[in-house]
Amino acid sequence: MEQTVKKFNIKELRLKDVKEFIASIPYNKITIKDLLSFEKTTTNKIIAGTIVLFLGLFVIGVLMYLLHGHHAYNVTREHPWGLLIAVYIFFVVSSTGLCIVGSLGDVFGFKDYMLISKRAIFGSIVTIMAGFAVIAFEIGHPVTMLIYNVISPGLTSAIWWMGTLYGLYLTFMIIEFIFLLKNDMKSARTFGLIGLLVGLAAHSNLGGVFGFLNARTISNGVFYPTYFILTAFITGIFIAFIMMGFRYKLNFTKEVQTMLSNLAKIQGLLISILIFFVTWKMLTDIYGGMENRSEVAIHILGSWTFWVEVILAMVIPLYLILKSKGQDTKKLFFASLSGMVGIFFMRYNLVHDTQLKPLQMMKKELYQLPPEWVHYFPSAAEIMISLGGLGICLALYYVGTKLFNLDSDTHH
Amino acid sequence: MATYGMALDYKNCINCKACEVACKEENGIELGAEKHRIWVGGNEPDGIWPLLNAASAAFMPSQCQHCEEAPCEEVCPTHATYYDDNGVVRVDPDKCILCSYCMNACPYDARFVDSRTMTVDKCNFCSNTRLARGETTTACQNTCPTKVRIFGDLDDPNSEISVLLRTREHFTLKTHLGTKPKLFYVM
Repeated sequence: MEQTVKKFNIKELRLKDVKEFIASIPYNKITIKDLLSFEKTTTNKIIAGTIVLFLGLFVIGVLMYLLHGHHAYNVTREHPWGLLIAVYIFFVVSSTGLCIVGSLGDVFGFKDYMLISKRAIFGSIVTIMAGFAVIAFEIGHPVTMLIYNVISPGLTSAIWWMGTLYGLYLTFMIIEFIFLLKNDMKSARTFGLIGLLVGLAAHSNLGGVFGFLNARTISNGVFYPTYFILTAFITGIFIAFIMMGFRYKLNFTKEVQTMLSNLAKIQGLLISILIFFVTWKMLTDIYGGMENRSEVAIHILGSWTFWVEVILAMVIPLYLILKSKGQDTKKLFFASLSGMVGIFFMRYNLVHDTQLKPLQMMKKELYQLPPEWVHYFPSAAEIMISLGGLGICLALYYVGTKLFNLDSDTHH
Repeated sequence: MATYGMALDYKNCINCKACEVACKEENGIELGAEKHRIWVGGNEPDGIWPLLNAASAAFMPSQCQHCEEAPCEEVCPTHATYYDDNGVVRVDPDKCILCSYCMNACPYDARFVDSRTMTVDKCNFCSNTRLARGETTTACQNTCPTKVRIFGDLDDPNSEISVLLRTREHFTLKTHLGTKPKLFYVM
């Protein structure tokens, strides 16, 4: 494929140039037939079937939402944020993580990681789009949001900053990806750096959404805004393993093997820091028996979802990384799959645990039973839209692998 | 222009819940236990029969505290929650996107979703109804048989509420959060 390298100069920008610029983006012309022409192995067929099933569930879930509104969800006055918020966070964390991994090569210039830059940046675009697709059906009035976010901005709101910065971030990621496709590395670096900074700001603001909740002592404070960045990097590396594992069918070339074992070593450090963070978060939450906070922390320690998060996202991946000193990349591919399931539970726990403790306004009669813990289990519509989000993400990624050359050009 | 607040002589409350009914009737609040702007909370008495602590079983009417530093207003991404000229914390349903951030941020569980408009609703001291008609009392205050609620202008030194707060000891809820509530419980 011939690729045009054209310097981008905003001063000389004209409509004709823009058209020419867009027309010169290298892509493969594909048909539906091309999309269906994948290697018909059992695994591939199962994955393809699952994606179609998830997309179908998304349509059903959205129809249920359109027919019944928020009544289709199990969110309540006491637990206003449910599974869809957790899934949105899951996707945007994945996006930020992939942006960090992608930036290692094309922004920071670590040559070993150039191999994955284009693929990771494309991954960051599809994951955030899946996140937006899910949140669009959680926000009660998404069109009103687009209008009043602009004409009546709430600058003291972490949600405003998070949403606005993520919108900008998506724009920069798309521009960076286009420059990567065009092999204009200088422009890709510039937009990549801006995109990375905006993405990190957006992501820490998402942590701030929880950190600013004075009413919820378990979440309030500096922990989440920083923890979100750390867990984003971890998530990005898990997904990097998964993407490369599928791309090379676990038969990694020497360069890919080197890159993945380097990423595994970074991952080992990051997961260790995460374990350190979570341990101290729990200790400080419990210490002193502070009302509302310590009892919530003890309750979290007794919940199975917390231990799923710990075992799948922390213990298994760290054990396998340490055992092979990051060399056994095939096992680490499976550890990354386990890690992503753990990361999902991490997001779910974050949202649910924040709302565990009733606000204790003495509403003990009629309104609710004597409050112990707020219970929540997602409804069928919430589960279908969430799985649909995953279906959208995987489908977009698959189309991307056909439409664009996601391998590094030097490598290819 | 005023600064509206409410004092609650809560030990007079007999839990008749007339205030809840009057609020729903006056402001057209949806039926159902979850849809309430105001409520009467109650504690189970401490102790074991017959040694019950009667003082611990007081009823505690409550609602939006109309905080001076309202967390719900700070977190709203579209200024749908705002302070009106009288210091009342209100919701503009046209701007509400139902992100539910305010419901999570409010320490007083004072907000709920109105499923007719699919926007967040809360007490507004009857600003759209009674105050708009020129009345000077809220529905909950007007109906209370034991005169628990005293609504009025905190800026006016001669208002009933100002006199009451000058002469009786009082406290606010979750004061440590720095929200500066304008709902005062007189002791």
